[in-house]
Amino acid sequence: MAKILLINPVVREEDVPRHIPYGIALLAAIASRDGHLVQIYDENAWRRGEDVVRQVCQADDWDIIGIGGITTTYASIKSTVRIARELCPKAVIVMGGGVLTSLPREMMAWLPQVDVGVIGEGFLTFPELCAMVDAGERDFTRIDGVIARDASGKLIMSKQRELLDDLDSLPYPAWDMFPLDIYFANSQSLFSEEGMLASRRLDINSSYGCSLICRFCYHLGIAGDMRYETNAEGEVEVAFDKPGNYTRAIRYHSPEYTVRMVKHAYDKYGINFVGFLDENLMTMDQYSGRTWMKEICRLWHEYGLAPKKNPDGTWTGVHWSGTSHATLCTKEILEIMREAGCSHLVYGYESFAPHVLKTIGKGATLESNIRSFFWTLDAGIRPIPNQIIGFPVDDFESLRMSMSAWKRLGIQVKPHFATPYPGSEWFTVFRKSIEDQYKGDLEAFIVDLGDASRISAVISTNFNAIELLGLRELMLMDDQKKIDEYEKVWRSNHNIPDGQPSTLVPSKKAKGPRVVTNVSQLNPA
Amino acid sequence: MGDDVLKGNFQPARPVKVEAAQETLEDRFEREVKKKLGGSIAYVAKKKIVWDVKE
Ligand code: B12
Repeated sequence: MAKILLINPVVREEDVPRHIPYGIALLAAIASRDGHLVQIYDENAWRRGEDVVRQVCQADDWDIIGIGGITTTYASIKSTVRIARELCPKAVIVMGGGVLTSLPREMMAWLPQVDVGVIGEGFLTFPELCAMVDAGERDFTRIDGVIARDASGKLIMSKQRELLDDLDSLPYPAWDMFPLDIYFANSQSLFSEEGMLASRRLDINSSYGCSLICRFCYHLGIAGDMRYETNAEGEVEVAFDKPGNYTRAIRYHSPEYTVRMVKHAYDKYGINFVGFLDENLMTMDQYSGRTWMKEICRLWHEYGLAPKKNPDGTWTGVHWSGTSHATLCTKEILEIMREAGCSHLVYGYESFAPHVLKTIGKGATLESNIRSFFWTLDAGIRPIPNQIIGFPVDDFESLRMSMSAWKRLGIQVKPHFATPYPGSEWFTVFRKSIEDQYKGDLEAFIVDLGDASRISAVISTNFNAIELLGLRELMLMDDQKKIDEYEKVWRSNHNIPDGQPSTLVPSKKAKGPRVVTNVSQLNPA
Repeated sequence: MGDDVLKGNFQPARPVKVEAAQETLEDRFEREVKKKLGGSIAYVAKKKIVWDVKE
C-alpha cells in the first residue's frame, strides 16, 4: 500500500473556510477503501502558513502527494508544490481538479515540480495511479486521463479517461479526515433564515453535468464538457465549449444513494443542513422525466429527514439548498422541494435584459426569470438572484433594465463581473484579448482570478474595467441620474449620437459595422 | 487517528507541532473593522506598514 498525503489548497482567503472539498474527500475515501495509507492536510481549513506545510511534508515518507482544486487555488498550489518538491524528492506529486484540467499543458509547464496531472475526473485515474506507484512503477502515461513528462521532459497526454458510469459505486466522502469542528463552526449559509441558523452543515454532490451552455461557465471537465483534439502541430489538447461545439454527459446518483448518504451524515455527525453542490438540480429533474428530484424529496420524508420546526426557530431533520434554473424548474417540483425542507435555491438570472439573455447561452428569458422567481417565493423557498454585468453585449440599456427589475423585485445584489475563467467558451473565444490585457502573461491572469465580484480580464465590448467598476457602484446606489450623465460622456467619446443604441456592437440592421473585433466571434443563442 | 492538523487512517511517523491559533486583540480588531471599511471607518493595518521613515 502507498502512503498518500492529500492537500487541500487555500481558496477564497478573504472568507473563513466553509466547504469541505468534495472531490478530495471522495478520492481519500477511494484510496482508503483500496487499502492505502491516507492522510489529509486541509490547508484551507487550518491556514497555518508555510511552516506547517513543511512539517506536514516531513511527517512521513510519502509515496504520493496529491493536491488540486478550482482554478483560483493556483497560487496556493504553486507555493505548496515548491515546498513539497524540496522536502519530498522521492514522492510522486500529483495535481488534479479544475485548475489543472482547463490548462493541463500550461500548468505542467508553470509547475515543473508536479510529476503527473490528472485531467478531469479522478475517480478511476487516481486509484490507478496509486496502484502503479505502490507497485514501484512510474510509467504514468499508461494510465488514461493523465499528463506527464517523458524522459526528455516532453509533456505527454495519455488517452482521455472515460467518465465513471456507475456513480453509486462511489464510497461516501471521507468527512472524518477533515477538521469538522472548523467547518461546523462556519456552517452558516447566509442565503435564507434556515441557512443562517444552520449549525452543522455538510455539502453533498448528487449529480454531474448541466444541460446548458452558459458561455461564461466551466464544468471542470467532469460534465462531458471536455474533448481531446489534435492541434495544427499534431499535439493533443483539451477542448471545451466553443461556438458550435458543445458536449455534455448528464449523470446522477440514484435518489436512494443520495438520501442514504444524508441519513448517514445525520446519524453520524448530527447535521442539520445540507448544501447540494450540484451544478443544476433542474437539469437532472428534467433529464429524468421529472422523477429524480421528486424521489429525493419522497425519500427525505421516508428517512425522517424532512425538518420539523421547534418553537425557538431551530428544527430536527435537515434543511437543504441547491442550484435551480429559471426555465427548467416547475412550480410543482418547487412546492415538493419546500415540503421536504429546501430553504433556498440559487438562480443565475444574470441579467434582466432580453438582448443580453439571448447571447449568454443560458436558455433563460426575462419571462422565465420572473416566473421562476415568483414560483420559488410562492413555494416558500428563497430565490438567490445572481446577477452579472460586463457581458460582451451589455450596454446602458441593459444595465437600466436590470436596475429596474431589481427595484421592482426587491432584489438586493452586488453583481459579479462577467469573467472568462479557463475552460469556459468565452475563455476560448477571448483568449487573445485576455492575454493582451495581461501583457501576454496568462499565468498572471490565473493568479489574478478570485471571486468574479472582483474585476480581472474584461470581455465587455462597451465598457472597460474602470467603467464597469463605476457603473456597478452607481447601480448599487440606484443612481440613474449619474448613469444618464455618464452615458452622454460615453456617447461623445465613442461618437454615438442620441437616439442610436448605446453600443459598439454592430446591429444587424446597421449599414456598416461599428468598430468591434471580439464580439464578431460570438455565437448568439 | 493521526495528528491534529493531519487526519487520516494511520499514525504518521513524525508529529506536526502546531501552536494553537491565538488571535490577538489587534488581529481581531483589524478583522472586524475590515468588514465595515468605508467612509469614516478607516484603520491602520499595523503589520502592513513598510514605509521606512529613514528613506
Ligand atoms: C464548492 C464549490 C466552491 C467552493 C470551494 C471549492 C472547494 N474548496 O472545493 C467555494 C464556495 C469557495 C467556491 C467559490 C467559487 N467558485 Co465554485 N464551486 C463549487 C462547486 C459547487 C462544487 C465543487 C465540487 O465539489 N464538485 C464536485 C467534485 C466531485 O468535483 P471536484 O472537486 O472537481 O473533484 C473531482 C476532479 O476535479 C478531480 N480532482 C479534484 N481535486 C483533485 C485533487 C487531486 C490530487 C486529483 C488527483 C484529482 C482532483 O477529481 C475529483 C473527482 O472526479 C462547483 C460546482 C460543481 N458542482 O462542481 C463550483 C465551481 C467549481 N465553482 C466555480 C466558480 C466560478 C467559483 C467562483 C469563481 C464563483 C464566484 N463567486 O465568483 C468562486 C471562486 C472563489 C475564490 N475566490 O477563489 C466554477 C468553476 C471554477 C473554476 N474555474 O475552477 C464551478 C464549476 C461552478 C460553475 N459551473 O460555474 N466554489
